[in-house]
Amino acid sequence: MTAPLLEVRNLCTYLQSGKQHVKAVDGISFSIPKGDTFCLVGESGSGKSISALSVIGLLPSGIASHPHGEILFNGEDLLKLDDMQIRAVRGAKIAMIFQEPMTSLNPVMTIGAQITEALYIHHPEMGADEAQARTIKALEQVQIPDAASRFRNYPHQLSGGQRQRVMIAMALACEPQLLIADEPTTALDVTVQAEILRLIKQLQHDTGMSVLFITHDFGVVAQMAQWVGVMQRGRLVEVGACQTVLQQPQHAYTQQLLAALPENLAKPPVLSNPTQPSTPLLEIQHLKVWFPIKKGVLRRTVDYVRAVDDVSLTINQGEIVALVGESGCGKTTLGRAVLQLEKPTSGSIQLQGHELVGLSERELKPWRKQMQIAFQDPQSSLNPRLLVATTLTEPMKAHGIGHNHDERIELAARLLDSVQLDRDFLWRYPHEFSGGQRQRIGLARALALNPEFIVCDEITSALDVSVQAEILQLLLNIRQQRNLTLLFITHNIGVVEYLSDRTVVMYQGKIVEAGLTAQVCGAPEHAYTQKLLAAVPRLHRLSLGA
Amino acid sequence: MISRESFAARIWRKTLEGVGVSVALGWLGLLVVCAVFAPFLANSMPLLMSKDGTLSAPVIRYLNEDDVWLLAAFFWAVTLVFIPLSFGRRVVLFLLGTFAAIALAYSLVKPPVLVIYDDFRSRDYTTADWRIMPPIPYAPTDYLRDLASKGLEAPLASTDRVHLMGTEENGADVFSRMIHACRISLSIGLIASGIALLIGVVVGGLMGYFSGLVDMLGMRLVEIFEDIPTLFLLLTFVAFFGRSLYMMMVIIGVTSWSGYARYVRTEFLKLRKQDYVQAAVASGLPLTSILFRHILPNGVAPLLVALSFGVAGAILSEATLSFLGLGVVDAPSWGQMLDQAVKSSTFNWWMAVFPGGAIFMTVFSYNLLGEAFRDAIDPQLARNSGGQ
Repeated sequence: MTAPLLEVRNLCTYLQSGKQHVKAVDGISFSIPKGDTFCLVGESGSGKSISALSVIGLLPSGIASHPHGEILFNGEDLLKLDDMQIRAVRGAKIAMIFQEPMTSLNPVMTIGAQITEALYIHHPEMGADEAQARTIKALEQVQIPDAASRFRNYPHQLSGGQRQRVMIAMALACEPQLLIADEPTTALDVTVQAEILRLIKQLQHDTGMSVLFITHDFGVVAQMAQWVGVMQRGRLVEVGACQTVLQQPQHAYTQQLLAALPENLAKPPVLSNPTQPSTPLLEIQHLKVWFPIKKGVLRRTVDYVRAVDDVSLTINQGEIVALVGESGCGKTTLGRAVLQLEKPTSGSIQLQGHELVGLSERELKPWRKQMQIAFQDPQSSLNPRLLVATTLTEPMKAHGIGHNHDERIELAARLLDSVQLDRDFLWRYPHEFSGGQRQRIGLARALALNPEFIVCDEITSALDVSVQAEILQLLLNIRQQRNLTLLFITHNIGVVEYLSDRTVVMYQGKIVEAGLTAQVCGAPEHAYTQKLLAAVPRLHRLSLGA
Repeated sequence: MISRESFAARIWRKTLEGVGVSVALGWLGLLVVCAVFAPFLANSMPLLMSKDGTLSAPVIRYLNEDDVWLLAAFFWAVTLVFIPLSFGRRVVLFLLGTFAAIALAYSLVKPPVLVIYDDFRSRDYTTADWRIMPPIPYAPTDYLRDLASKGLEAPLASTDRVHLMGTEENGADVFSRMIHACRISLSIGLIASGIALLIGVVVGGLMGYFSGLVDMLGMRLVEIFEDIPTLFLLLTFVAFFGRSLYMMMVIIGVTSWSGYARYVRTEFLKLRKQDYVQAAVASGLPLTSILFRHILPNGVAPLLVALSFGVAGAILSEATLSFLGLGVVDAPSWGQMLDQAVKSSTFNWWMAVFPGGAIFMTVFSYNLLGEAFRDAIDPQLARNSGGQ
């Protein structure tokens, strides 16, 4: 066996914040053989990104310190190099790609110029023609169509997936031996993610480089890694070959993480009985939400963005309907249009047989009580200036629930009980809570008016997998108790399979497939659904399939 | 216990925490007291005197309409503080009471038309059995002609009279003028900015929240008002309608709201698509609550910074006008005093230092207050700075 390309021994990274030392990375050891992929997996805040930044030496020296440990790259300790020496390694021998393709390219430089700049720095002897030729070759390598003409494009002219390809091309231009990928596909749609993952694997096969891959998604791990390390609070709790760790996890934390995956969660005992006669709660017919595109001096409408284009959908009482699709397919707009937060262009929405489209805000008010919404982003879903108590009691007051302030406070406290939060949380502000707690408060607010119907707009997408599991279980509990009807908007197929009774797939503003979840996910009929499901990184690829 | 506290009361309590705010409020409080009790603090006539067995109070006899309603409003405000009411109600009651006091004062109070200060130093008054003079025994427009004041005396330069801050070019006591000038500086800053803020928040809020056509029309209105040159408008109005402080306040207010409107519009545009605002809409909350409870407090920070500069700017506008000789003719103002300091052939430090220092302190106080208010509205910031 040859010596490993990268060997990290007992690495510690302490971050200084004020007078406190945070042990962001606390004694981790792992090694990456040449040509292999090592996945660092863990929840947010576990120190996986800090570990990667330590390896490439990108942490600000004033804040970060490494009291112990060594990082051996080709047998050379990177921590002992000075700035000049590490610069020769960084970029040339170790390259890095980041999570957010939208912000990691300079918007005022052409992509060609950005890649050639990296080449000039590491190969000063290179001429302009050669640099351009190598850049175009790198762009071709990452399968950017028509690379020669794309050379002069600016980042805004490319899609998210293409930008991530450009980032990879830039990283690969200098032919590094190690590529560090920090959640490179988290911000991308699953189909694009599948392409990027395939690309990285193929490049690795062609060039023989090693990859340090950071992710929180076990599906991606299963697809990419030969070796995997599970991080928890700055420590590597389990390291080993990918198959061994995923199939026979030894450490309790790994077991817990794997158990929290939606596909591994125990199905709740009672799901809605298809034989039981169900009454339609919400009927959507030929709904269109078009946004005008205005051009010219007179602001004439030249075209429309057809966010929701002729959608018909019936949701029955007590059902959980999952609305699946990639970003920009109109699923969020549909959810908001149902609640009349977005005015439909045409079509009809009937709640319990009453038409909602075209009602004024005053006429809508009694119906507002029946239908509520919970949001994706825990940061912006609660008013930061209001106490939790105010957030929960204000809608009650507006709808005349509870006779006085004290009674409403008591009702709000019971709501917190039902989302399994402490009653004292009433007297706190949103910034004092974690993301998961905020999502619970957001749910409590949606429940405050005792609605029939709730739109859940990606409520678990911003959460760690274990927190997601808790929220999903809570949601099923509440639904059992109150006989709620849910429209669950998500892009996560695992969540869909766990939670929903029926699944609706949206693509470019239209519904392409709808049916019972088992049917849609097990035997998809529409070509797009098949593509979408095939792109989902699975933990156990073999156990699924038609 | 805290749970009973209303939103406004909590903001107010948090604003009052901290050292900077105490200094600012201390200074502004001093200005308010000076403004309200100016005739009792600096005046040429006795507060109380007894002559031939009859008691008389010339100060009270000579109080004019403004003196009276200011006093009434002040005592009404003090009374309201001790009556347990909600914050909003107190503000409404105070405004109602003040307007009533203004109306009553102008219809009932009839002060003597002509005031000759020299008379109060004549035999009629000096031969009283006993008399109590104000702490500064000179009125702001008493030019001490009978005492042959030459004007522009440095502080404590004269041996026969005490002028703590010297005298100005006409011979009047500077300290007395400083005290009476508080009224103009306080009121022009507050009222002009208040008018501007009110119009700006309403117009900007509607533009930002409804966007579309409302926004387009509103922005054109903003642009029109931005193009009006305040100074030349003031010149025109002074030429047509004469010099009036109230006219100045209204004109400064009506021409300076566009900046606030832009700030508010931007914040509303940004915030109305926030999830918590959408949640408020989805809960069927009334429009006033959505606009002023869920959006405005989250977008108020840039507004407060603009406001503290706006108040300072209005004070300086008045100073500019006085400097150009367009200010109120006889009433003393800090800007006018600064003007004198610049214009005279020699540099008279006391004419520059005292009014300049007062303007500085006032602008500084408004800035401190604005900052404290901004911090109080942001619970996260309050927590971080150890305010809790």
